[in-house]
Amino acid sequence: MRRTTKADIIVPVFFLSPALITLALWIYFPLVEAFWLSFHDWNMMPTAAKTFVGLQNYERLLELPEMGPAAINTVYYTIGLLPLTVGLPLVIALMTQRLEGFQRNIYRTVIFLPMIMAPVVVSVIWRWLLSADYGLVNKAITSFGIPKVQFLNDPDVALWTILFLTGWKLIGFSTLVFAAAITQIDKNVMEAARMDGASEMKLSTNIIIPLISPAILFVGFLTVLHGAQWSFVYINVLTRGGPLGSTTNLFYLLYEYGFGNFAVGWSTAAGMLLFAGFGIIAVGCLRLMQRHATYAN
Amino acid sequence: MTLANPSIGIATPARSTPRARPREWNLRSHALLLPLAFLCIFPIYWMIVTSLRADNEIFSSVLWPENPSLKNYAYVLHAVPMMKMLFNTFYIAIASTVLQVLTGLMAAYVCARWTRTLGKWMLGLLTITWLIPPQVIMIPNFVLVNQMGLMDTLSAVIVPQIASAFAVMMIYQAIRSFPQELIESAQLDGASHVRVLFGIITPNIKPILASVSIILFISTWNEYFWPLLVNRSMENAVIQIGLQMFMTAEGNQWGPLMAAATLASAPILILYIVLQRQIIDTFVRSGFR
Repeated sequence: MRRTTKADIIVPVFFLSPALITLALWIYFPLVEAFWLSFHDWNMMPTAAKTFVGLQNYERLLELPEMGPAAINTVYYTIGLLPLTVGLPLVIALMTQRLEGFQRNIYRTVIFLPMIMAPVVVSVIWRWLLSADYGLVNKAITSFGIPKVQFLNDPDVALWTILFLTGWKLIGFSTLVFAAAITQIDKNVMEAARMDGASEMKLSTNIIIPLISPAILFVGFLTVLHGAQWSFVYINVLTRGGPLGSTTNLFYLLYEYGFGNFAVGWSTAAGMLLFAGFGIIAVGCLRLMQRHATYAN
Repeated sequence: MTLANPSIGIATPARSTPRARPREWNLRSHALLLPLAFLCIFPIYWMIVTSLRADNEIFSSVLWPENPSLKNYAYVLHAVPMMKMLFNTFYIAIASTVLQVLTGLMAAYVCARWTRTLGKWMLGLLTITWLIPPQVIMIPNFVLVNQMGLMDTLSAVIVPQIASAFAVMMIYQAIRSFPQELIESAQLDGASHVRVLFGIITPNIKPILASVSIILFISTWNEYFWPLLVNRSMENAVIQIGLQMFMTAEGNQWGPLMAAATLASAPILILYIVLQRQIIDTFVRSGFR
């Protein structure tokens, strides 16, 4: 056992400091500051006074008419993504396990591609494909005699379009995460089950899915915790929350209050509620994940 | 056909129900994967094709450009400071990546070696950042950049990204799986911490550092939200913001718009073509540990 020297204390502190200072300066202090600002009235002008207003911002939020629909949309964005990030990829991963070699690599390369594309580029491309006038999708639809769809301008459709674009980027990624988890299952377990006459369906539901449940839960929780945030870019580039507020969500509302209305108090108060809400969900998710991680082993 | 058959050599091939033969599996796999692959690649293909079309055939539904032309590219390069914005983004992505790997190495070393005290707290702090949405802290961040006088500069985009939780976590795992005896014996020989980290560990985890760097580069290149707040003029904007500005200004000029989008994604696409296997593996591995 070595003696504790001065270097043993100075070195770790010195090594940690760049990362720690960055975290403190740009994440943790701002979090405290946002909490403090949520009890104040301010318009972001450096010269303007910050007036203490107590809980008034929080009370106001509950009365704002756009709050309810935005909260409901946030739930849609969160739950609506699950079929695209968990459901469909799981089915595909289960049904394509035996594909090997060259073909497998080609598919991997192609279906992963959307994941590396910038969300702004994705927005621009789909804006063109879905354009009401000359977009390829509408051309295809009308050639079957179905009337045109205003994918981004119809209040009943726009949210689903944004949801699809958010999911489009992730289908391939999730599929590969599940496929990778499946290849890590002990081959003997699967072979034994097959020898015992288990059907492929049974094999999937009784053996594979329980064994890869940590990966499924991980992707599921990632979607629940971050899904509504992922949609932010598409909303801001393509619809700005419209038409008629149909595509807005709480994250977008925070941005609008802050940088549209310069209502710092509202934005930070809503931010604190959002942070608390998702924090509670996250703790629940972690609990569930820990239980399942031990179950899978 | 030499399809992998795991049951070779075991028992007899004559089963009572001849299900799940490789050929059937393959057919089913293709039936599922072909449409998915089409859905994933066609939009990107259509972007490139549209960018190469001449003015009079922009609205054509033919699947390839009949008279390919680079006019749209010439227009974009002329109309907006495209090259400047691409350079800005390169500069920011490379600077952020280098800084994040460097601060990540140092922090990860502490996390991996002082596991009971400092390291443990640091890992906790890093994990919690994952739960803090950028929209919650954007106003204090914005105010701070303003106070530092960095608004509308390239540094404004880099400064908050000097360290990243992702980089620390990935490098931490690499150092944890590094043989501890090597580190201990080096220290018994009198090697300092700096020497252990940069002389012994770093050269040995190069492949992981390379993978992490690629992911950091791609994600900084694609970053949108923070630049949206601190970019003002096209001259000082990253390409993603520039692309959005161009779209807002000339939204239905589909040819030039697709040329701009192609230019904005070209570096990433080229990187992907060269290093796809490594990129996919790193993303997938970091996705579920």
